[in-house]
Amino acid sequence: MNRTLARSLPVAAIGVAILLPMFMGDYPLQVARNIMLYMALAVTWDMLLRSGQISFGIAGLFGLGSYASILAVVRGGMPGWLSIPFAGLFAGLAAFLIGFLILRLRHTYFSIVTLALGEIFRIIIHNMHDFSGGPEGIVVQQGIIFGGASRNLYWLTLAGLAVALLASYWFEKSKVRFALTAIRNNEISAKSSGVNIFRWLLLAFVVTSAIQGMMGGIFVMSYGFASPETVFSADFTLLPLAMALLGGIHSTVGPILGGLLLGLVSEWLKLQIPYGHLVVYGVMIVVVILFMPQGLLGLARKTMRAAGRNRK
Amino acid sequence: MKRFVLAIAAIALVVSGVAAQGTIKIGGIWTLADITGKQGSAAAQLAVDEINAAGGISGKTLQLIVVDDEGKADKAAAAVEKLATVDKVDVFVGGMASGAELGKIPSFKKYNKVVMSTGAAGSATVEKALGPSPESDFYFHLHPWDYNQGASYAEGWDAIQKKYPNVQIKKIFLAYEEGAFGKSSWDSTKILFGADKRYTIDGAPFKSALLGGGDYTAVLEAAKAFKPDLFLWAGYDADALPLLEQSKAMKFSPGIYLGAPPGWPIGFGSSRLANNVMLYGMWSTAMNDTNAQSKKFYDAYVKRYREEPATYFALLAYDAVKILANGIKAAGTTETAALVKALEATSYASALGETITFKPSNVIKHQGITRQKILQWQGGLQEVIWPFEAATAAPVYPFPAWK
Repeated sequence: MNRTLARSLPVAAIGVAILLPMFMGDYPLQVARNIMLYMALAVTWDMLLRSGQISFGIAGLFGLGSYASILAVVRGGMPGWLSIPFAGLFAGLAAFLIGFLILRLRHTYFSIVTLALGEIFRIIIHNMHDFSGGPEGIVVQQGIIFGGASRNLYWLTLAGLAVALLASYWFEKSKVRFALTAIRNNEISAKSSGVNIFRWLLLAFVVTSAIQGMMGGIFVMSYGFASPETVFSADFTLLPLAMALLGGIHSTVGPILGGLLLGLVSEWLKLQIPYGHLVVYGVMIVVVILFMPQGLLGLARKTMRAAGRNRK
Repeated sequence: MKRFVLAIAAIALVVSGVAAQGTIKIGGIWTLADITGKQGSAAAQLAVDEINAAGGISGKTLQLIVVDDEGKADKAAAAVEKLATVDKVDVFVGGMASGAELGKIPSFKKYNKVVMSTGAAGSATVEKALGPSPESDFYFHLHPWDYNQGASYAEGWDAIQKKYPNVQIKKIFLAYEEGAFGKSSWDSTKILFGADKRYTIDGAPFKSALLGGGDYTAVLEAAKAFKPDLFLWAGYDADALPLLEQSKAMKFSPGIYLGAPPGWPIGFGSSRLANNVMLYGMWSTAMNDTNAQSKKFYDAYVKRYREEPATYFALLAYDAVKILANGIKAAGTTETAALVKALEATSYASALGETITFKPSNVIKHQGITRQKILQWQGGLQEVIWPFEAATAAPVYPFPAWK
């Protein structure tokens, strides 16, 4: 029964996600788009975390992809839809080149460098004023993708999330998982067992960066503009991180749960407490992380184990 | 049973229809964690309550529904969608940061309801995203664009030098925060003051204290070496006092010391450093003595909320609702084409001390205010120096040397 349920639940969820626009208005679809975007970033952050490396560079790669996409359209005349995979490729290639330099670092050093990456990308964009629009930003004059049709924009973001989930699933179900887990547990043991640490870390870094860049492309094509303050915003690092921690790390399901919960709660709180919701939201995240360090998934596992013991 | 359910449903439909017919809904979108949004939405509610207390519009009452955009493009878009599709508002009001406004524009265009915008000065992006008439005719932009502001400053300084011959400006130095706000100020300063070579312009960026900066030594050294007649800084409220402290420490006292943040720190006027610092703005409490509309708004706002309006954005929001209400009354409907036509005939005596009308800007068709004011901190108050018709004091010049 449990196995059948476990198999049918994801299928049902996919079906509901695809068919949602048939039953919902533009407002819930917009909220869903926002949630899915952060969810995809949360999943990709977790994918790299499975190797033990904590990245604070999500906003940097998201912003880099955003600008790759919008500049390809505005300066290069590329069709909007094509600029989205291009953004992914560009961010992936940048991560590949940067990876050779920074993947020799570990833990805090790696985290600090990834944090600095975003700032470096932002400063470069700031200073390429004539090409990038500088601090003021740049606008797609020919209008946004799909003429702004809510359903299509929803499906586009869903497709971006699907890419992130498929990659995460591949990381979980292939030998990538063993390699990354081995690296996380003990690098020396992993190396002595024949795991090529640099190669696996580079793979994880490039794949996650490419997806983050692609989501940046989806974001700017959906709104028709990019500005450094918007696309390099710390929100694109901090919110996905909070979502993954809330849902439970080292899994695909955890960041999805966390993203769904935080996204919905944030929107609900905004409508219920217009003048103080951010305070409540912030306190809620701190409390959950303090008292549920393993996240919702950890709590669910603990509860199920306890229930199993009681049954015996 | 079936008949009973049908009857209840029919009654519910009629009741909701009557209620909807009796209410005009205004969707307000601001960044509520920011003082401009918090007070802007409060001032808009004040305007709504005043209109309703005076009998509403043709027997209908106004209802303001406020949603926070958190200063983010995606949240701002969701706010428009919620107001348009769930609350079914008739018109929109609000706005401050250009980034959030850019998130709203695609949805605004989709619903094509009248928007009375109170912020978003970034012409390079917001005005471009709106596009020319007729596609952007639904959009009424009250706040001046960045180039409007620059042009009004140039006009103001010319007028001040003419009226007060002892005020001599040849060299201008702009210290600007490195973000979009500062950079656009630098670009417009270079164009407006430097184009005809009447002024020698120099400038340097700094990292705002708001964004983790706070050391202005390098920019002040550059300014001091340039010996400007007018030193202008374009940053945020968090920069105001540290910049003055460091200027004092470096004994940097140019002829005119001018700050152009969107808002000043609370209590800035009571600091001794503030005295004689000039500023750009649209309104100050000093105007209550010369402008009846300003006093009326101020008294009503303070009575209702027990705090002073800290920036002119409160007045913009108040005016925005009043202008919309006048337009709806004249049009007799909230239908976009008719309301746009009625609003085009607007001539509204604003609490900001000028009559608001709508004229074409560089791109859009409906631009409201185009001028800002030059003010000076004197004895803890912001006194209006220019335009002279709204002036509340003469300028103190030059900026006294530091003691």
